[in-house]
Amino acid sequence: MVTMSEAAMSRPGRAMGLAAFLSVVLIALTAVPSIWPQAVPALHGLKIDTDPENMLADDEPVRLFHNRMKAAFSLNDLIVVGVVQEDHPQGVFNPKTLGEVYRLSQAAETLTWDEEDGPAGVIAADIIAPDKVDNIDQAGLGSVSFNWLMPAAPETPEAAQAVRDKALALPMLDDTLVSGDGRALALYIPIREKNDSYRVAAALRDRIAGFDSDATYHITGLPIAQDQFGVEMFKQMAISAPAAMALILLLMWLFFRNLNLVLSPMVVAMVSVIGAMGLLIATGQTVHIMSSMIPIFVMPIAVLDAVHILSDFHDRYPQIGDRRKTVRAVMEELWRPMLFTTLTTAAGFASLAITPIPPVQVFGIFVALGVIFAWAATVTLVPAYIALMPERAFERFRRDAADVAAHPEHIGWLGRLLQGVGGVAYRRARLVLALFVAAVAVAGYGISLIAINDNPVKWFRADHEIRVADRALNERFGGTYMAYLHLGAAEPRTVASVAGDLRERLAALDSAPARRLAERLDQQTETATDPQALLDDLAGWVADAQAAAGDADWQAWEDAAMAVERAAQAGDVFKDPAVLRYVAQLQAALEARDDVGKTNALPDIVKTVHRELLGGEDQAFRIPDSAGGVAQTLITFQNSHRPQDLFKLVTPDYRQAVVWLQLTSGDNAHMRAVVDATEAYMAQNPPPRALDHDWFGLTYINVVWQEKMVAGMAKALTGGFVAVLILMTLLFRSPLWGLLSMVPLTVTIALIYGVIGLVGKAYDMPVAVLSSLSLGLAVDYAIHFNVRSRQIQQRLGDWHAALTHVFGEPARAIARNVIVIGAGFTPLLAAPLVPYQTVGALISAILVCAGIATLIGLPALITLFRRWLFADAPASQPAQRRA
Amino acid sequence: MMTRLFRRPLAAAHAIAGAAFVAALALPGGLTPGAVAQDLTDAQAIVDRASAASYYQGPDGRARVHMSITDAQGRERSRDFTILRTDIDDRDNGEQRFYVHFSRPADVNGTVFMVWKHVGADDDRWLYLPALDLVKRIAASDERTSFVGSHFFYEDVSGRGPREDTHSLAQTTDTYYVVDSEPKDPSKAEFARYRNYIHKDTFLPVKTEYFDGQGKVYRTYTVEQVETIDGHPTVTRARMADSQIGGATVMRYSSVAYDVGLPQDVFTERYLRNPPRQHLR
Repeated sequence: MVTMSEAAMSRPGRAMGLAAFLSVVLIALTAVPSIWPQAVPALHGLKIDTDPENMLADDEPVRLFHNRMKAAFSLNDLIVVGVVQEDHPQGVFNPKTLGEVYRLSQAAETLTWDEEDGPAGVIAADIIAPDKVDNIDQAGLGSVSFNWLMPAAPETPEAAQAVRDKALALPMLDDTLVSGDGRALALYIPIREKNDSYRVAAALRDRIAGFDSDATYHITGLPIAQDQFGVEMFKQMAISAPAAMALILLLMWLFFRNLNLVLSPMVVAMVSVIGAMGLLIATGQTVHIMSSMIPIFVMPIAVLDAVHILSDFHDRYPQIGDRRKTVRAVMEELWRPMLFTTLTTAAGFASLAITPIPPVQVFGIFVALGVIFAWAATVTLVPAYIALMPERAFERFRRDAADVAAHPEHIGWLGRLLQGVGGVAYRRARLVLALFVAAVAVAGYGISLIAINDNPVKWFRADHEIRVADRALNERFGGTYMAYLHLGAAEPRTVASVAGDLRERLAALDSAPARRLAERLDQQTETATDPQALLDDLAGWVADAQAAAGDADWQAWEDAAMAVERAAQAGDVFKDPAVLRYVAQLQAALEARDDVGKTNALPDIVKTVHRELLGGEDQAFRIPDSAGGVAQTLITFQNSHRPQDLFKLVTPDYRQAVVWLQLTSGDNAHMRAVVDATEAYMAQNPPPRALDHDWFGLTYINVVWQEKMVAGMAKALTGGFVAVLILMTLLFRSPLWGLLSMVPLTVTIALIYGVIGLVGKAYDMPVAVLSSLSLGLAVDYAIHFNVRSRQIQQRLGDWHAALTHVFGEPARAIARNVIVIGAGFTPLLAAPLVPYQTVGALISAILVCAGIATLIGLPALITLFRRWLFADAPASQPAQRRA
Repeated sequence: MMTRLFRRPLAAAHAIAGAAFVAALALPGGLTPGAVAQDLTDAQAIVDRASAASYYQGPDGRARVHMSITDAQGRERSRDFTILRTDIDDRDNGEQRFYVHFSRPADVNGTVFMVWKHVGADDDRWLYLPALDLVKRIAASDERTSFVGSHFFYEDVSGRGPREDTHSLAQTTDTYYVVDSEPKDPSKAEFARYRNYIHKDTFLPVKTEYFDGQGKVYRTYTVEQVETIDGHPTVTRARMADSQIGGATVMRYSSVAYDVGLPQDVFTERYLRNPPRQHLR
């Protein structure tokens, strides 16, 4: 490594040029296919991925099930337009606003276009809007009517109110289309692909801009949130990350007062970030919420080593007086800690590759690569950069040092502070240790309080339009977070069970045709393997026999044929009144919970149509008493404008159904509670016929990935911890020093997570990922501190004297690092997305905490255990002085 | 007729086209004798004749129908029913009554749908649901709602009045009159216009395309088979596809008969609960 630095210094121009060339090549390699994708099909352009589902691999069982169910029930991603009007006595239900809503819905229907692979845009037939859904109600004596809920924009206040009243009477629309208080409404606009949302939303916004009522229009829904997320991600990468860099630059300038010199860590950071992100894009990885944070993670680590070099250079240049010799001395002293900090940091991030979350794996691997690039750039470019600067540029360092030598009181606030800290750690070692133990104990209690929770909508700031819309709609409607409980017939359906059932039905008929059919049944049963094939065969046979029979036998044959049909329908579990009543009870149990705003399922349709068929009275709002009653109620429903809506709740074979839950919160903790409550309900109240159940919907997928992530992070952290411990033991050739080096990071991780538990911040995605950063960063300081302590102790042979030196230049380098990088990340607090804010706050906290643990904890521990720590020190030292 | 009944002539409706069954159409023996008769040029007259050919053959009629509904995902459901039809005073394009008796699926067996079709006024419709022992009158603002969950509308089955649209003759080919029709009251139709291909000899619309406001075809009716029964060219297989909801419904007609001599009182409420079995086989 020193050789690398020497080489770079002897050809500084070439080193810088090579770095610049490689950077330009990488930029071109990714920019060209991004801008002209057709020109170079072999290369990968920038691909943005804002789909939270991709937190799981696309062959993850829960995702496969989710996609299968979305297809089976024709469910699509929805753009939700909420319309709220506070100041009007009728809310939005006045002619003017409903006129706008009508025009908006009519416009939405036309937002379709053709793409190469078929139609794109809005699925007009599935729009839920007042003019697009049917009303079913009484139309005079003995008459039931199916009509559009709002066939045209109402012209009078009374007509507008009537739209509201009709919708509130329909369970499927109450709290979904119309808010429970009857003052707001929501349109649900399904789109074929999530990617269609931007164009559709833009057209809707245009249309809304021309409206002049006092209503407020909120456009939201998952696809919109994802589009917004992509935009904010770019803002973060384009504004927040560079702002952090600028602040780091400013802080370094304050320390070193040499703008030219402090640009060199910036060059290192740029080269490392370009290297990591360039490779990420060029290898075809997507830029996801996780990978968009790579620059933010690589930057502090990249700057860290450079700051050590500059700090050491700044302090030693005055004694040595020649920039090349000074660099050589600095590199000889620092090569070992820098290499090891790089290896440990890279190991910490690489350990994320063992989590089961693909974006986290990619993140870990490419941050690790960035760290290695940063090391290579640091040991070559910083020396080359210094070599390119004239000797006189460092004149000021010499003057400052001379000033401090002449006036020791001029060592500055940092120098004085550090000397004080070192003294305290030495004299009050036991007290320091006791305080650390107490802090860790409190942290342990805090960790026990940690609540695991996340909610991708809350990744937006509270004042973001998505959050505003989210609150506005969830206050008024059943909820905008969708989860789906799938119920499937689970009773075995075999040739034997079907044949047995049919045999009984035929025996009950007691006719000659029934007996002949029973004979046929017995014959066929012997060879049949599939119950449906058996029934199909019998149906065909009996139809032929019926056609051939005379008029006299026609009805008897018809009855026999009907027996076959009825046997076939015995498996239509979701026409069974007992099953539907059970589903309705399950819905009621779920709706009793605060976190479930509303549920929609097949029983709601059956009960509503039944009520209207029987005169519209409340007591008729129930499930009919027979499967035939259910079937005939449903065939009546299918005479409406939208018969296909039925099959969003049940499959056409009536063997699978969904309960669609509208949750008022997208918190994973709430979804998990609903899942557990359902589990408990179904265990205590077994269904009347065997039913499988499972969940899908994004709100549920979020829970699955989070749970995998928490478990995966625990494994990654343990794996990373062990790897770092082994590296430390190898570095120091001493298990004791190895363990000692683990103290600051252990304390840091404990305190960070302890505080998170104590203040009640949820353990979410960014918090989980930061454990790796703590591991990587906190050990860095310990390595620098321990290596330098051993070097100086070996030179001086006396720990007390050595400590004073350690709290000179080495401690200053660490403290400067803490301040530069810790403060440098505060611009992230202004980032538009909450995960970035969390990351910014936690990086700063981690650095401060690791700095304190290193600068106070380690000297105290070394002081207390110096007899064992330095027992064999001389033997291990020679290795350190290799050039 | 019945068949046609069902296939709705949609007032004019349907159209044509397809070449495959053109062969079948070309031969209907009785209807085209003078064949080379003068082409008609009055669109309304063409549509009136198409309506009569599709829905009003003979004084009454009967057919058994197997309806197969395939959804966008290829899942199939079926319904079997018998249609009885009578024309009041045997007048083409006049008042009619329909009695539709369902036998399959088994759990809707015995369900009856009855219509008194009026000219220039809303139809009267009744529904009998045996499992609920319930006779119900159905009111609807428009007739373009699904017929028992299929891709056919109620109006496709009973026939759209030839006077409900403004017709224009777009083209006369060797085989077809191509007629474009726009609704006189757009609020009662979901289409902007439709185009019918009406066979010149039989006057059966063999293909109908429905256009939305953007000029795109979203719904297509196609005749797939025509047979001459009792001297009447009769559609015996027809398909309705809808690209907005996806999938298609095919209706197959069997046991078609005309001039069956159905008593008028079959088409009354008291036969809803007691189906006229002898006419339903």
